[in-house]
Parts: sequence; structure tokens; C-alpha cells
Amino acid sequence: MSGLNRTSLYDAHVAAGATMVDFGGWEMPIQYPGGIVSEHLYDRKHCGIFDVSHMGRILVEGEQRVAFLQKVLTGNVAALVPGRAQYCMIPSETGGVVDDAYLYIFEQEHYLLVVNASNREKDLAHFAKYLPEYDCVLKDITFTTASVAVQGPKAESILKVLTGGADITDAKKNSLGCHTMEGHTVYVSKTGYTGDPDGWELFVDAADALWLWNRLVELGANPTGLGARDTLRLEAGLPLYGHEMGTDGAGEEIPVFAVSLARFAVSFHEDKGDFVARTLLLAQKEQGTPGKIYPVALIDRGVMRAGMDVYADDTHVGWITSGTMVPYYHFDEAGEILDTTGKRAIGFAYLKGDIQPGQIISVDVRGKRLKAKIVKRHLIQNQPPYARAESN
Amino acid sequence: MNYPNELKYSKSHEWIRYEGDVAIIGISDFAQDALGDVVFINLPAPGDEVIAGDSFGDVESVKAVSDLISPVSGTVLAVNDELEDSPELLNQDPYAAWIIKVEGVTQEEELLSADDYEAFCAEEG
Repeated sequence: MSGLNRTSLYDAHVAAGATMVDFGGWEMPIQYPGGIVSEHLYDRKHCGIFDVSHMGRILVEGEQRVAFLQKVLTGNVAALVPGRAQYCMIPSETGGVVDDAYLYIFEQEHYLLVVNASNREKDLAHFAKYLPEYDCVLKDITFTTASVAVQGPKAESILKVLTGGADITDAKKNSLGCHTMEGHTVYVSKTGYTGDPDGWELFVDAADALWLWNRLVELGANPTGLGARDTLRLEAGLPLYGHEMGTDGAGEEIPVFAVSLARFAVSFHEDKGDFVARTLLLAQKEQGTPGKIYPVALIDRGVMRAGMDVYADDTHVGWITSGTMVPYYHFDEAGEILDTTGKRAIGFAYLKGDIQPGQIISVDVRGKRLKAKIVKRHLIQNQPPYARAESN
Repeated sequence: MNYPNELKYSKSHEWIRYEGDVAIIGISDFAQDALGDVVFINLPAPGDEVIAGDSFGDVESVKAVSDLISPVSGTVLAVNDELEDSPELLNQDPYAAWIIKVEGVTQEEELLSADDYEAFCAEEG
């Protein structure tokens, strides 16, 4: 695969027997020899680690960095204090999503913005339209740094070995910290893309990536590829650009407020002032959007896939945006995790019209109409240390 | 990768062997490895007709769906129901996990010996 970027951990993935694929212009592990199902389950019960170095990391510097970020992001950047992170979107001028992103303040003097790998260049080109109006500089540090996500019930005990027992971050989601771990500087963030109650994302210099990865493996964490990253985020109900954000099955832009996370990601606070597509987004919030993203559970036997048509009665109402079969652990009546597992076909759909939780819809699975149900969520995430399958 | 000598193989990665006049059909080790974790299988019913070169069902892995292509024409005598609840058997032991048995075989696709199939798979990468 020539012409593709590689992370600092490429050799480690190949040595571990990973199946490498082109993902957003990067040669990345889709799975290791254990396979997606076992990687997913290990993460839910123990600890999965993910090379997320392919994601775009951009430092935002300069006197007017806050004003610039207020303009191009949906969140209220002024409300973010050092030591905290926030989820946000990069709105398009027409009220859709250029990308979704995470904004961090590890250090007072600059922000770190992390964007999707496949959108990094597009995002930078989009930002370049607005930058000249501000005393603000963007530094792309994607290739000089690395990032590893450490997720799951055992993530804390594993990371605490490296911090010498010190707390990794405050317990609250989106808390940040910085540690010297065995002589290496590691920035840590209590964030993740798995839905696990406990999980951190780590940022290091590219030169330290291999040390970090190998130590985490020695301590019992399991390398987890992009395949399981996708099944875990789908189960967690987390949207993915290119599926739940971007354009729909007819090629039309999906509005920002079609995604339920927009309620937390978009601020109309007076401190924020005007920003890209503010008027359109306010109208979306107040009047609703023609379509919305819903979690969907398949009732009939089968598997839903992105792009499949969805019907309510006999009316075409939208498309499946993501779908697969995911494994889950059983729990006993006392709430203890068991060794037995099940699997279920779940997904997201982008649907128009009056759709209610609990409603039965049908999905065209290669010519067969299979019954599915609109659900509230796929995963229970507020009972640490385990994420548990919601019984729908 | 394992290619038992006593089996014949199709270029669509099914294996076939005969017990008397009955053809027993499954998917190869190469196929299950390429699919990744198999999570669902759509099987035909006994009595269904299958046609050489045509789909008789499909297997879903976490990643994608793949058609199962019949290497023979005939009538489905039996299906391996166990796979409906445990499709992962296709990953664990693809040559024990037969999928369908076909009787009244009237036509056979071009089939490869184990050695030729191994060479074919090496080319496909």
C-alpha cells in the first residue's frame, strides 16, 4: 500500500500479525489475529488499547485563538478551562458537519484540537478560509506525536502502574492531566470512543509511542484494531463522521442537530458570539431537523449494514448509517459479569418524519424486509466498571 | 492455512466432498480467514434447489457480507442448523463445519485439487 501514511506503531502492528488496511489515507490495523469479536469482548471486560495516532492533532496558538475557535467550532470555547476537554463539531456554512472534533486545554498557552484522520486536510483547508481574520496559528503535530487510547475496566489499574500509583486524572469525564511515566512525558485525557465507563486517551512524542504501547501490552492491555473500535463505538451510540455525519443516502448534507450529541456540542451562549452557520443551527435546534439519527436494534435474524433502505409501514423514511453484529457479555442478577456471551445486530439509522422510540420499522436487507426497532440506547454506561448491553 | 487433500475446492472458496452420491459443502480455511469473525449465516431449506455458480445463502462477518456459492446443481438434502446459533464454528473448524448436503447432483463447477487451490489462494493473496 504505497503512498499511505504510517503511525509510529506500524512495525509493532505488523509484528503482532495485524491485518493492515487503508483507513483515511493511513495504513492501519483493522484487527489482530484474535479477531474483532474477541478484541471487543476483551475491551469490555479487561482493557483494550488502540493506536489512534492517525487522527489529526492540531495545536491552536496565538492571541486570538479563542476568538478563532469560537468562530469555527460549535462549542463555547471560553467556558473551557485548562485541564478540561470538550466534544464539538466543525459546522459547514450550510448547517451540516465538516467534521467532529475534541478540543483540549492541556496547557494555558494553546489548545489541542483532534480531528478525524480522513478529514484532517479538509479541516485545515476549511480553517484557512477564516484564519486570516485572526491573530492565530495552526500547527499540525500529527506526524511528530502519537496517541493511544486505553479503555475498559482494567485501564485504571494498568495506567496506575505507569504513574507510580498517582491518580491518572480527576474521575470526571473530560478531565486532563500530565505525567512523567518511567521518564516519558505523557498527556492524559479521560475520554474515549468505546462507551466504557473508564478509559483514557494518551498523547506522547512520536519517539515514545513504541515504549508506551509495549509497556501497556506487558501490563495486560490488548491491542485492538479499527474493526473493534467501530463495533465498540456503535454499541456505545457514538456517531462517526462519514456515517452519522456528512451526507445521507441521497447525497444531501445531514444537519448538525440530526445527531443527538449536538445538544451538548453546540452552544448559543452570548459569550460565544457569532459563529459559522449560527443562524441555521439555531433554527435546527428550535424547529427541529427533517431527519434524525436513531439507534436501531434488529428484531428479525440478520445483519443491518450502512446504506440499506428503511421503511415505516411502506413509506421509505431513510437509511441505515452504520450496522453490524456486536458481541456482549451476560451479567448475573447481582450485576456480576459472567463468562458467557451473546451477540446482537444493532445500528444507527437516519430517518425522516415522525419517528418514536419503540417504533417498529423495516430494513431492506438485500431484498428482504426485516423488522427492527427504534431504541433509546444500545449500552448502559453508568454502572462502572463495566459497560452493559441494554436489553431492547 | 490448511488445505486437506481429500477435498475439492471452488474458485469462490467453497470445499466439497462426496459421501456416496451426496455432496457435502462448506467454506475453506482461506475463506473463513478472509471473512474474519463470522457472526451470522443465512441457510437454504431442505428441498431447495441449488445451482452451480449461484448463491445458496450468505455469511455475515463483523466486517461484511459474502455470498455462499454452490459448486454443484442439485437439491438440498440437509442444512447444518447448528451454524445458525454458532456460526463461529466456521472460523474454528471450517472443514468440520459443513454447511449443506446436496443430492441429485446434475452439474458441477470447475473444481480444484488441494494443491491447485492452495496456489490459487496464494495468487489472490
